[in-house]
Amino acid sequence: MIRSGMATLGVAALFLAACGGTGGGTPQKKTELTLYNDKGAWTKYFDEMGALSKQKIGLGMKPTGYTDSAQYQAFIKASFRTNVKPDLFTWQTGGMLEEIVKQKQVADTTAVWHEAIKAGDLSQDLAPYYTIGGKQYCVPMNVAYWGMFYNKKLFDQHGLKPPTTWDELVKAAATLKKAGVTPFYHTSVLFSFVWFEQLMAGSDPDLYDRLSTGKAKYTDPGVVQVMEKWKELIDAGYFVNPGDKTDPGDVMKNGKAAMISFGTWFNTSMTQRDMKAGTDYGFFVIPNVNPALPKTSVIFESGPLCSLAKAADPDASTKYLKWWTSAEAQEKWATSRGDVSANPKVQIKDEALGQITKDAGSGKYRLVNRYFEATPPPVLTAALDGFGKFVTEPGTYKEVLATIQKEADEYWSTHQ
Amino acid sequence: MRRSSPILGRFRYGYVAPAALLVAGLLYAPFVWTAYLSLTRYDGLAPPEWAGLANFGKLFDDPALLTSLRNTLLWVVGTMVLPVGLGLLVAVLSYDIKGGAWYRVPFMLPYALSGAGLALVWSPILSHGGIANVLLGVDTAFLQSAPVNTLAMLLVWTWQQLGVNTLLFVVGLQSIPKEPIEAARLDGASGWRLFRHITWPLMRPLTAVVVGLALVASLKTFDIVWVLTQGGPGRNSETLAVTMYKETFVASDYGYGSAVAVMLTVVTGLASYLYLKRQVAS
Repeated sequence: MIRSGMATLGVAALFLAACGGTGGGTPQKKTELTLYNDKGAWTKYFDEMGALSKQKIGLGMKPTGYTDSAQYQAFIKASFRTNVKPDLFTWQTGGMLEEIVKQKQVADTTAVWHEAIKAGDLSQDLAPYYTIGGKQYCVPMNVAYWGMFYNKKLFDQHGLKPPTTWDELVKAAATLKKAGVTPFYHTSVLFSFVWFEQLMAGSDPDLYDRLSTGKAKYTDPGVVQVMEKWKELIDAGYFVNPGDKTDPGDVMKNGKAAMISFGTWFNTSMTQRDMKAGTDYGFFVIPNVNPALPKTSVIFESGPLCSLAKAADPDASTKYLKWWTSAEAQEKWATSRGDVSANPKVQIKDEALGQITKDAGSGKYRLVNRYFEATPPPVLTAALDGFGKFVTEPGTYKEVLATIQKEADEYWSTHQ
Repeated sequence: MRRSSPILGRFRYGYVAPAALLVAGLLYAPFVWTAYLSLTRYDGLAPPEWAGLANFGKLFDDPALLTSLRNTLLWVVGTMVLPVGLGLLVAVLSYDIKGGAWYRVPFMLPYALSGAGLALVWSPILSHGGIANVLLGVDTAFLQSAPVNTLAMLLVWTWQQLGVNTLLFVVGLQSIPKEPIEAARLDGASGWRLFRHITWPLMRPLTAVVVGLALVASLKTFDIVWVLTQGGPGRNSETLAVTMYKETFVASDYGYGSAVAVMLTVVTGLASYLYLKRQVAS
């Protein structure tokens, strides 16, 4: 009996040893870092950055791209408790960054920020998005301003110019609709929030801010009016069917919709499809719904590139983040994707994108944090589902707002 | 009574230990951990906080869960009628005819695809403006409104599962002894009467297996729904397994997601138990 018990224990010990790995905590000197990200479609560009960093700072980088963000986030959260840790990883600013900082999982990058701001590689305006408890965490992987991409050929064909007021935008939509062209794109999955945030920010940006901090309710009259405005546009037949699964890049290229509201990163989709700015497509800032607002509201987002507090080689990770913010790295990162950059020194080749970056930097716009980052994760999940339901059945807007508010009430009751 | 070999006796626990540890480590331990998490508030990062039965209380107050239960029930009933029912029909019609195996081959091929791969293939067919719209000359968004979206996904599921059910039923038909069938034929039974009174009762053991497997598979439907609709729009095509995944990994509410997982386990276990008990009794 004792022997058989010993045998069992022996097998158990072997099994556990096999599962246990080599144990962490030993500092390593790395020459290549792993970069986990939820931007699987950008692997080619990350690879190019890895090759460049190897050449410039002697530190390579290998990306592992996920395409499902839920799966990606679950992996990163689980990795905090295992030895399979990424050296670098992409994340989200706002509530999600706060969550992992509170758990002491993210490396402090205050020194990197301080140096980069001093060298003019990062702007002080960007720091608040990365500041928690007075310290900075992560560096900007990308920045994006949101506006309207439009099919230039369709606009030219129907004698339209980029609108400068909300009325002109609606008039352009009516003209296109009359000519048998669907004016706008929207979807029932993931990006279902786009028109909500745009209409909110263009109608009452203060209310939008209060909503994201739990100081206003989704059932408030101002929010209800925004949903009614959105419904009005849907009822007028200005949107593609939200169930259309065509890639938005193809929607723009083949003219299935004349206008698509996205961040400047959407320019990468145009680049990938060999579309030429100014000939095939254009970009304009979406005018405010409320013309009385002092500044045009522009949705802004910035995605962080982070390293772990308990990284395998903390010095290498910090060195890489520092390099990432430099003009040398950002020039490559922005131009290869045809996007804007967090580094003010980088010259943006695309004229319209260069202009919005310059104007935003000069304080011409009121920058509004993207809904995805501004809203706490549980409320966001309910809202994405809610807006998905609304675009399919626009008559349900009051029910949708009540459902989101129920989730918001639950969240803010413990997070104020 | 004969004693077992002394060597076998001494090390008997050692022999079963690897398998027992694997099952305990990979099956029972995660289940116990999930059951514990269902009694906590846990976001996947901070340590779980004890919440008692709060998550289970929320289950009964969640309209999305009711939709989820309704859809899961639709999947169970639909699976019995379509992949299982049609599988039986194809098996019976193609059995005992010349070249019957060749008729069954086209039904078998889709089984080689994974659920996610299958959904990716059908996505451009069923989405609005997709191939189905063009071929049928209609403007229906098959994946938008409930319950049409669930029914459309059931058809996809049928396309994949029909073959394997057919194959299992054919095996069942082949295992039936010839004598009762011949005796019934001599007594003048044929067609529906022969099937209803002789073939069908003799196939019962295999039918129990096919229905049992289909019951469990339909209760845990996830991949097709996740890839085709992600449970939407507005959660109207969610199944219990999708709700479990969404609450856990999308909303990061691991406690509530675990409560859904426990509920799904109980529902699946209970349904399987009741079904098998009934089969054994009869």
